[in-house]
Amino acid sequence: MSDFKVKTGLAQMLKGGVIMDVVNSDQAKIAERAGACSVMALERIPAEMRKSNQVCRMSDPKMIKEIMENVRIPVMAKVRIGHIVESQILEALGVDYIDESEVLTPADTKYHIEKSKFKVPFVCGAKNLGEALRRINEGAAMIRCKGEAGTGDVSSAVDHIRTIKKDIENAQKLKGEKEIVELAESYRIPIDLLIQVIELGRLPVVMFAAGGVATPADAALLMQLGCDGVFVGSGIFKSQNPEKLAKAIVNATTHYNDPVKLLEYSTDLGDLMGGIAINSIKEDEKLEKRGW
Amino acid sequence: MTSGKPIVLGVLALQGAFREHIAYFNCILDSNPDEYSNFDISIIEVKTKEQLEKCDSLVIPGGESSSISYISERTQLLPHLYDFIANEQKKTWGTCAGLIFLSKEIQNGIENQKCLGGLNIQVNRNAFGRQLNSFEIDLDFSKFIKGCDKFPTVFIRAPVVTKILDGNCNAVEKGIIKSENTYHNSAPTEILYELKNYNNSNNDLIVAVKQGHILGTSFHPELSDNYSFHKWFLDDFVLKSCK
Repeated sequence: MSDFKVKTGLAQMLKGGVIMDVVNSDQAKIAERAGACSVMALERIPAEMRKSNQVCRMSDPKMIKEIMENVRIPVMAKVRIGHIVESQILEALGVDYIDESEVLTPADTKYHIEKSKFKVPFVCGAKNLGEALRRINEGAAMIRCKGEAGTGDVSSAVDHIRTIKKDIENAQKLKGEKEIVELAESYRIPIDLLIQVIELGRLPVVMFAAGGVATPADAALLMQLGCDGVFVGSGIFKSQNPEKLAKAIVNATTHYNDPVKLLEYSTDLGDLMGGIAINSIKEDEKLEKRGW
Repeated sequence: MTSGKPIVLGVLALQGAFREHIAYFNCILDSNPDEYSNFDISIIEVKTKEQLEKCDSLVIPGGESSSISYISERTQLLPHLYDFIANEQKKTWGTCAGLIFLSKEIQNGIENQKCLGGLNIQVNRNAFGRQLNSFEIDLDFSKFIKGCDKFPTVFIRAPVVTKILDGNCNAVEKGIIKSENTYHNSAPTEILYELKNYNNSNNDLIVAVKQGHILGTSFHPELSDNYSFHKWFLDDFVLKSCK
């Protein structure tokens, strides 16, 4: 378990911070100077992947390595759901966190990665409590929601965070061992893990918001809903003034409860990401459907 | 409810694991009500200068030292932090990123990253390397904390103290970030703990220091599931002058 403490420990240090998607060293440096607590290195931001209709895989380690060499903050990278070997490769490269991500094309339609077998920590997506706890049971040391990536529409991220919170509240209302056993069975997780969540009143690991965050107000909204921090993908580098927006989102994540400061951070940011409304996307094209 | 002397202990809450520190201190107060009945201690988050002004003591948590530095600068808190650590009545403790932020010089820092200059030390950011080199180890702190001979310490992409600085050295050095604070701490810098032969290296790595009213640790007692270290800071720093 001590290994797990070191894995969850880094996620705890990222709290209250913003993790930004970057596709090259220049963007990574902009993110770092804006005060990002970590960067996610990937070849194409989700908005581009969504348009491409191609198979999306782990990024070329060459570009990830270049980013690792150019910033001092932790560097994360994505692997396809279930792709054990991409994970082995990224662990050999020495990235600080791996995101087993629905944004890439899943490699396994049945199993997620057995993450406890790795020394490198993993973050995984979840849209409800059952999914979050299955990922934690597999060894995920950090959870994020699965807001629709690359859309600039924050509504599904909000929905997932509210659902996870509601699921936890409902679990706390369960009466007696039998009901707890039944819920744990329906979630396909050990009873002890569910009991831990009921006692804590929250997930036993750090939970970040992710997907569709495009403005300082979006970041603050998710913080007010109880997230520990925020991932920002396409939103920043799809905007007119990435440097200014990146700083504003970092400031808003710290001062998420201060409307006067949020007013200042939200003002005069130039054109933001145009995006696409989630309800215009066909059900079977939604990324949140990937993973189970 | 206590009716003793009001004491405010703040935890800098710009980025990082500030809630953990707050929870540890609250746990100490809740578990030892009789011991602290002469004091009216409150633990608060510090994001603004108004909150900082209320504080008798401050903890700077782990997180990313550059994030904490940039946010403090952009939200105009930095000059007030310079003044706070220069007031030797106010006790301050930094863990990991907090240690980096409290130092006078940073090796491996980022352009325009600032440090408060409260400890006459040079620190190396990410001295052990990346996350895969993060580790947990039991250390013997009984030399300065009574009975604390097996304390579970967690080092996450941790810094170490590479140099104890003597005197005021403001000369520009390549690759070294220097504090712009004019304050100079004249108390002696005490090495509280050195990690010996870690990973078969022959170097002794300084991971805990104390200089007068300021304490710095490379590791995270706020992740240890053991509040002895926090209790020591509360008793020997925060409350000592009040008892």
